[in-house]
Amino acid sequence: MRSFFDIDRFKEIMDTLSRNRSRTILTGFGIFWGVFMLLALSGGAQGLKDLLLRNFKGFATNSGFLIPNATTRPYKGFQRGRSWKLDFGDIEAVKAQVDGVEKVAPVGTRWGETAVFGDRTYNGSFKGITFDYYSIETPKIKFGRPLNRMDMEDERKVCILGKRPWEELFPGGEDPCGQMVRIGGVYYQVIGVDVSESNISIGAPSEWTITAPLKVFNKLYGKGDEVEFLGFTARDGWRVKTLFKDISAILSRRHYFDPDDDQALFSVNSESIFTMMDNLMKGVDIMILLIGLGTLLAGAIGVSNIMMVTVKERTSEIGIRRAIGATPRMILGQIIKESIVLTMTAGALGIMFTVLILSGAELAATKDGVLTAHFQIGFWTAIGAVAVLTVLGVLAGLAPAMRAMSIKPVDAMRDE
Amino acid sequence: MLLELKDINKTYFGAQPLHVLKGINLSIDRGEFVSIMGASGSGKSTLLNILGILDNYDTGEYWLDGRLIKDLSEKQAADYRNRMIGFIFQSYNLIGFKTAVENVELPLFYQGIGRRKRRQMAMEYLDRMGLTQWATHFPNEMSGGQKQRVAIARALVTHPDIILADEPTGALDSKTSVEIMGLLSRLNREDKMTIIVVTHESGVANAADKIIHISDGVIGSIEQNRDHSAARFGSGDLIK
Repeated sequence: MRSFFDIDRFKEIMDTLSRNRSRTILTGFGIFWGVFMLLALSGGAQGLKDLLLRNFKGFATNSGFLIPNATTRPYKGFQRGRSWKLDFGDIEAVKAQVDGVEKVAPVGTRWGETAVFGDRTYNGSFKGITFDYYSIETPKIKFGRPLNRMDMEDERKVCILGKRPWEELFPGGEDPCGQMVRIGGVYYQVIGVDVSESNISIGAPSEWTITAPLKVFNKLYGKGDEVEFLGFTARDGWRVKTLFKDISAILSRRHYFDPDDDQALFSVNSESIFTMMDNLMKGVDIMILLIGLGTLLAGAIGVSNIMMVTVKERTSEIGIRRAIGATPRMILGQIIKESIVLTMTAGALGIMFTVLILSGAELAATKDGVLTAHFQIGFWTAIGAVAVLTVLGVLAGLAPAMRAMSIKPVDAMRDE
Repeated sequence: MLLELKDINKTYFGAQPLHVLKGINLSIDRGEFVSIMGASGSGKSTLLNILGILDNYDTGEYWLDGRLIKDLSEKQAADYRNRMIGFIFQSYNLIGFKTAVENVELPLFYQGIGRRKRRQMAMEYLDRMGLTQWATHFPNEMSGGQKQRVAIARALVTHPDIILADEPTGALDSKTSVEIMGLLSRLNREDKMTIIVVTHESGVANAADKIIHISDGVIGSIEQNRDHSAARFGSGDLIK
């Protein structure tokens, strides 16, 4: 038996496939569609995942936030409904007393603050932070630098512009570093632009926010050592959920509210949100894999089925070939090779079509020349798909080929 | 003897076992032109299938060119069919999606002969059949007589020992039938080709030198037929 890549044998296969065009096209379409569905689905899912994860980008997955709220129970002589505030003392206490906490970040926020530069104004959110806040939310610096410890200690009047305020105040898109921006009657020097687009945010999205050192922020509003809310990250091996309990115990002692009063301290747990998202993504992945493989399998079975009918239709042709000297192995080889060539060609076309469609999706997802989500399938995914296809091609060809092998040359004459 | 059958028996085991060949003894020499005649159901087609190594027999011996043809593997059978036997069928059995010359080439393809050599040999035989201009036409573009001539070219292209023809004129009109039988006679006379024709038409059988009558699975009589103009059905050159 000669090898697969014998040019003569190959020509025979190509002739048979190309001269029975409609049969070939119909059979190939099944595989083409299966590949397209599998790859387009996996590419689409990946892009969707990217789009979703973009919301969480730069956000620590092991962080928690605590926001004080009016009490709902009387405690130690205090009435219910009493408001209370966090302060710097709480931050130090939590840092000192809770083991599992890595970084503690007090935050102050103000909605509806107006920033002015020249004749342009921006109305949005103003936020005061300490350096540790960057451990929770990583800035994406386009110009300049983020706030540093010196800014905090020296209480410098500097600020970082979010994407929106930068665009509003500096519509030319220029580097605003060094410019003075007026916020609430006080001038701040712009030292950086943060273009982070994370949609998880406590207070306001960082995209809309102007950020300054917390102490400077507090001075502007006369807040003393008051803190609006407290963010923290957990050390490796600690659950955010258990840390909530420890911290709330300390705070209840310091501010005299009932430790069992769940309403007095509002908490947001990024860890649980991330875990949920993660599980959701895994679920979507599995579903897409199942749908894709199902489609591909259905395609292969379809091909096998059509090949089966084809072999029946070709009884006379195969009988003739047998009568004039083809051995059963030659027939078997031809049918299987036909099916491999067909699946691989149709599969390659399916891959090309998918790449084209996904390129279009990526083009649509590109904003300001920046790709926001990767839809395109990887090179090795495509190679893997080709490998799976070849195996499926052989399997799809096997059953019909076995039937073709059993055709006796006499059948050719009986058939007519 | 080129071909020798010794007490060949063949039974089809269906719902009712059918004893089709009941002890056939026959020998045919190289260069003979023989026809096998019989009514339908007489066993003549089964006999042809056994001669063409397309079917097995139960008992007896079949010798072809000094080789015992019995219990062959599929591969060996395919090889013997390819090299020793040329088939001509009633329904031509050309492959519809292949051109005339490609059909003629096919047996050579299975011999593993290179493309250029194959094409050259096939064209040579198509030329002998007067079909040079039709080489690149598909079977459905040709008349019955042309198709049968392509089939004859395909049978001849491997230089077989015997040509086996199963009702070669069964699907042709009488004028074309005469042409085809004339072609076979000439092959026998000029090329000393051994030809066995199976038919139920006496006019066709008459073209052969020896007529073997078969009925109910046994050979009735063997008739020497040297005078081809005698005992014709119809008149003039018409066979039917």
